[in-house]
Amino acid sequence: MSDSETVVAAATPSIANSIVFHGSLSELYRLAKEGKIPTSLQGSHTRPCKFWTASKILSGIRNSILLTHGPSGCAFGVKQAYKLTNSRNSAAPYEPVVSTNLKQTQIVYGGERELKAAILEVDEKYKPSIIFVATSCATGIIGDNVDAVTSQIASQINAQIMPIHCEGFAGEFRSGFDLVFREITKLMDAPTEESKAELSEYVNIVGAKMGPERTEIDTDVKELVRLIEGIGGKVHSVIAGNCSLEELRRAPSVAVNCALCLDLGYAIGSAMQDAFGTPLNSTILPYGIAATERWIMGAAKYIGKTSEAKALMESEYAAIKDEYEQVLSHLEGKTAIVEGHDAIKSLSIAHMLERDFKMRAIVYNFHPWSAEARETSIDYLLETGLDPEILITKGTLALGKYESMQQTEDELLEFLGSLNPRETVYFGSSLSFPNIPLVDLNAILNRPRFGYRGALKVAKCIKTALDYGFRPRSAMSKRIVFPQNSGLVSVQSLTGKLAQDMPDCTMYAGQRRKGQCMMS
Amino acid sequence: MHDELEFENCSHSHDPVVGCALEGVSNIIAGIRDISIVLHSPQGCASTVALGYDNHETDFTQRKVACTRLFETDIIMGASDKLRDLILKADATFKTKVMFVVGTCSADIIGEDIEGMCRTLQSKVGAQLIPVHSGGFRGDLYAGMDLGLSTLLTFVRPLDGPRLTRSVNLIAPQASLNPTWWADLKWVKGVLSAMGVETHCVFPSTTSIEEISLASAATANIFLTHDMGYNFSRDMENKHGVPTILRDLPLPIGLKNTSNWLRALGEYFDASDVAEQLIESGETLVTDILRRRGLMLIPRYRNAKVAISADASMTIGLVRMLFEELEMIPDLLLVRSNSEQAKALLEAELNRLGISPRVAFGVDGYKVKQSLAATELDAVFGSAWEKYIAEELGTKLAFDLFQPTNRTCYRDSAYFGYEGMINMLEIIANDWEAALRSKEIRWEQYQE
Repeated sequence: MSDSETVVAAATPSIANSIVFHGSLSELYRLAKEGKIPTSLQGSHTRPCKFWTASKILSGIRNSILLTHGPSGCAFGVKQAYKLTNSRNSAAPYEPVVSTNLKQTQIVYGGERELKAAILEVDEKYKPSIIFVATSCATGIIGDNVDAVTSQIASQINAQIMPIHCEGFAGEFRSGFDLVFREITKLMDAPTEESKAELSEYVNIVGAKMGPERTEIDTDVKELVRLIEGIGGKVHSVIAGNCSLEELRRAPSVAVNCALCLDLGYAIGSAMQDAFGTPLNSTILPYGIAATERWIMGAAKYIGKTSEAKALMESEYAAIKDEYEQVLSHLEGKTAIVEGHDAIKSLSIAHMLERDFKMRAIVYNFHPWSAEARETSIDYLLETGLDPEILITKGTLALGKYESMQQTEDELLEFLGSLNPRETVYFGSSLSFPNIPLVDLNAILNRPRFGYRGALKVAKCIKTALDYGFRPRSAMSKRIVFPQNSGLVSVQSLTGKLAQDMPDCTMYAGQRRKGQCMMS
Repeated sequence: MHDELEFENCSHSHDPVVGCALEGVSNIIAGIRDISIVLHSPQGCASTVALGYDNHETDFTQRKVACTRLFETDIIMGASDKLRDLILKADATFKTKVMFVVGTCSADIIGEDIEGMCRTLQSKVGAQLIPVHSGGFRGDLYAGMDLGLSTLLTFVRPLDGPRLTRSVNLIAPQASLNPTWWADLKWVKGVLSAMGVETHCVFPSTTSIEEISLASAATANIFLTHDMGYNFSRDMENKHGVPTILRDLPLPIGLKNTSNWLRALGEYFDASDVAEQLIESGETLVTDILRRRGLMLIPRYRNAKVAISADASMTIGLVRMLFEELEMIPDLLLVRSNSEQAKALLEAELNRLGISPRVAFGVDGYKVKQSLAATELDAVFGSAWEKYIAEELGTKLAFDLFQPTNRTCYRDSAYFGYEGMINMLEIIANDWEAALRSKEIRWEQYQE
């Protein structure tokens, strides 16, 4: 009998029929590594491809042009998803995503000539600081020598130029993030004593993407900037959240890189550490006070502001203390089911619930695929001693959209049947309908979620959910999301226009899937 | 008569404002009932297929899409086994009548034998398997829609009985920038019904394969777009003897275009009296409503210099409404598609109106922005893109009428016909008010 089978056998018979795995993160991690639990995604579990994720990071670099070498559809898709979102949410000016617009003839005869001509045109008409030439599936397969073209043409243009090999087939979705974060370190200048002295009180926030922050919302990034400034430090650049090429050049000279997202921040942070020796403050997402304090102290020690950091932490805590402790008294000992669709976020929330709120956290439907894809973060978490419970049901591995389909919803309800609704909360999308109080941290009004203010905000969200737990979820909402015979598919497929109003993490995503955090 | 714009540095670099052929194909397939799609591609292409479904606002319970998620090894070694396994699994899970097996750039280029796979598996699955090569390099959105229609043409059975006498096929209503284009389709169906004409088959919008197979019995085809479908029109006539009517008229946008369109339709189906009744009641509706609620549009809009940035269907229709009925001056026309037939139709319309605006077809984002920047304009009719560009350029009025729009549309609103005109004018009026209202309270003006 395998380990997972042992766990299933231990559960009650009716629930056991639906459970694929119920155990600790470390156990799941081990089973995944040993090939004892399926880690592959179904054909219906499509993520954005490498081209999309690479483009998402590149979209966060100001005055750059993304020139996609291939047919126009790839450029159109990312432009509508990222650039229109930036214009819509953050009042960014119109930004193009340019394509060499290859047709059948170039697929047969090659498209290098078109690429050369396009680079010259782009340099002339947009006058960017840098041109990123992103390859697509088509040009990757036909074998256009993009490196040769870009190196030959570099001396003929004013902009800097960099090829990005991000064919959609060339890796899992997050490989695009990693690739770009690794590549853009090549744009950076090695620190000098002089530059390091100039930036000795500066940090970079690394692991961001897409573009500028929204002005009307207390975003998590803004909260982190406020905390850094609160200890007397300064933020040199948010990479790549609307950073400039000049900021990137000088970025290694800061005192420390602070990871915004453990996974993505680690990718660029470790690359900069290796190349330039820039220290990295890499912690779990700063949800809750314990993680926030670790994040602040991790930054403070490199900018010589340890005592200021301690003072700030005291004052920040003092500002929330009365309300926070009062709310906390209602949370201790309760159980939280945390939706595991966004792997890193769910683990960070579990960390906050256990460490700060003294709650028991069970991460629900954390796809075993994430155990492979998020190795860095899981290693880190396990090293810090956090090893949350994980529950995976059959629907997660089935053909369909496990993030929200009738099967996983039914399985959730079946599992929750054994729990006391007055003592249990569900952390996940409002588009799920468990029969227990629900906290949706993706709801746009629930910001900031990081830092002390965030900890209080989250604690109050839980308290509110518990207080109003007597109110049944809206039958209308439930019927909208799960119509009769909804079967295999998901609210993720909601139309763009409707999805605009769904709890919104970061994505606008053109005419589709607005409202979901497509790829954290 | 128009002044065709020329642009420098645009021969090889393109900032697209429409999707690729895969999106076009998806936009057609998504209009068919009880089908599933197996996409033979890397996973990112699934997002493009979803755009097709989005354009139909297909209920998420009806989206049955699976993707082979090709990776590097598949590209090198081929992925026929992967495709076979997924077709079998999807057939067993989705249980649809028809399954489209769609190859995108990667599968197309490496030469995956999708047709052969469909032939081999056909006897082992419940769904009818239809292979479609939809590599994005085959063209833009409109070329993809043409490709999709040509695939559907293979389903149309030869006529084996008498032709229906009062029955039409409606073609490509989804090739429209109206965010709720199905309201236009509904209006057209309503008008046909009033004239005693049956809507035989819609190519396609919640249409069954059976309906498509019987399309050759229709009296005529009516296209609800000027941006594509010309080959399909020719083939339907040549292969099945179904003529296309009304194609040389602007679509029913604004009073005059609507009345022209209705009269032509009434004449063809010997229902001129009904057409005249519809025209009279429609024009009365528009003028009565505007008299009560929109009187100020007359001084507001008169001689305003405006640009239209849209597809050919909307641009050709709007230009007369704006010039003749609202007394604006269309000074710049930017068209996303690039068909010769649409160019000729616009040319003829501008000649009839006696105006010569500057015009560009097949525009991209750069051309739109450059053209708007180079023109002294009072207002732009466009989408969210044009709205943001106009904002950046300092053009105060940008009417967010077309896709992609940032308006919230809970109600379906036609742009065709008389109520359609009212719907558009309502959006224009609200955008006007929002644009020209002071953005902040100037408290210093109220200080003692």
